[in-house]
Amino acid sequence: MNILLAAALKVVGVLVFVMANAFMLIWLERKVSGYIQRRYGPLRVGGPAGIYQSAADILKLLAKEDFMPGGADRWLWLLAPVVSMVPAVLVYLVLPIGRTFTLQDLGVGLVFFSSVTSFTLLAIFMAGWGSNNKYSLLGAMRAGAQLFSYEVPLILSTIGVVLIAGSLRLQTIVAAQTQHGWFFFEQIVGFIVFFIASIAELNRTPFDLAEGESEIIAGYHTEYSGMRWAMFMLAEYSNLFTSSALGVALFFGGWHGPWLPGWVWFLLKTYIVVFVGMWIRWTLPRIRIDQLLDLGWKFLLPVSVANILGTALVLMVR
Amino acid sequence: MGLFDRVWNAAKSMAVGHAITIREMFHRPVTVRYPEEKPPFERGSRSVPVLKVNEATGLLNCVACGLCERSCPPSCIEIVQAVDAAGKKKPWPETFELDLSHCMVCNLCIEACPFDALEMADVVELSSYQVQDLIFSKDQLTELWKTSKALRVAGGERI
Ligand code: SF4
Ligand code: SF4
Repeated sequence: MNILLAAALKVVGVLVFVMANAFMLIWLERKVSGYIQRRYGPLRVGGPAGIYQSAADILKLLAKEDFMPGGADRWLWLLAPVVSMVPAVLVYLVLPIGRTFTLQDLGVGLVFFSSVTSFTLLAIFMAGWGSNNKYSLLGAMRAGAQLFSYEVPLILSTIGVVLIAGSLRLQTIVAAQTQHGWFFFEQIVGFIVFFIASIAELNRTPFDLAEGESEIIAGYHTEYSGMRWAMFMLAEYSNLFTSSALGVALFFGGWHGPWLPGWVWFLLKTYIVVFVGMWIRWTLPRIRIDQLLDLGWKFLLPVSVANILGTALVLMVR
Repeated sequence: MGLFDRVWNAAKSMAVGHAITIREMFHRPVTVRYPEEKPPFERGSRSVPVLKVNEATGLLNCVACGLCERSCPPSCIEIVQAVDAAGKKKPWPETFELDLSHCMVCNLCIEACPFDALEMADVVELSSYQVQDLIFSKDQLTELWKTSKALRVAGGERI
């Protein structure tokens, strides 16, 4: 009974956090894009600096008609947004939020993280195939090519950290950085590859080909509206947070920091990484699909393999 | 170009681009929060033609010659010249109506007027739900002139 209660509490806690965090991040993204373009961003809806904007948006989306395109593959179409939320919520399980605070500290946390996030591809493909729309299918196919080719460097780039820490458990990796110093300094190549690949995994500009507005309307979520569309957005922003959090845990010492409690440091560092992601999004233009695949296979992959070999050599010589 | 040159160039241009966006981010926004904060009118901008009054005599400058009426492309000015009891024409308008609902703010009436009787006022917030409210009479146009500042006058800018 107690186990069930604890599990239920964890689920509710994660869901509440996912919602609140997505609200925050959507508002932040609008503000950051606004100020980068020398506008004010949302102001009118209320709260300090228009922070209730996202809540108003959710209310609006809830009130919208749930419209299914004719000829859509009913179950695939209906389930795709739900499937996209599942990995987004599941990965919170292993995030090392505080020194003693992880929902479930798995021994293979890193493997769990990367295998669960690859389920996002399934949701995208279900949405693209189920919509009976050429733009959706094109978007899904692009997303497929992109996620496949960036999954590999993403995982390889973290192996350098795993080699130094000697563990796949995220808490151990973070704890190793308290004596050792942040892995960012030794693994800067790994970090750069990780960061580029994780932006590509998130389908964010400059790698947002899967939803390139000017070519394929909105890619795989062209046919979605109302709350189903909002679920894709929630999952996207939740993934933005979790992949930044993974970057913080692997390269920036996770909860490690002076004075403040661990989870504050963790959230602070994560939001800084998220901000850098937004800054990149509003600076760089979208790249072409061939450039994208070239970058993944011909640059990031060899660089990350070289990084692993170099790290292993140094560790052996030591 | 070799691989290292390309990587170096990409890194350099990305650094420059990000420096630009972060710098812009800490500048004051160029937009204004409109109803609370109103941007100043630029000199020479155009809004609404209004009727000028001769301050010495209190009469309109307009002599009802009808040139503005004829030069207005969408024909939104309507002038009726005053006549006295004997049927003799008088040099002032009996009615001067301006239909703002289709005035296109082109300034041609003001350029056509040989008597410096029209000018552009600095009012723009005249919208209404009723088209009738947008037909301005002689008195209303005079009133607008009295309560506004000139943006642009006959024969070009003279502010
Ligand atoms: S500004 Fe142009 S459209 Fe308006 S009344 Fe004058 S001539 Fe007509
Ligand atoms: S052109 Fe000038 S003087 Fe002639 S009718 Fe029009 S406003 Fe009056």
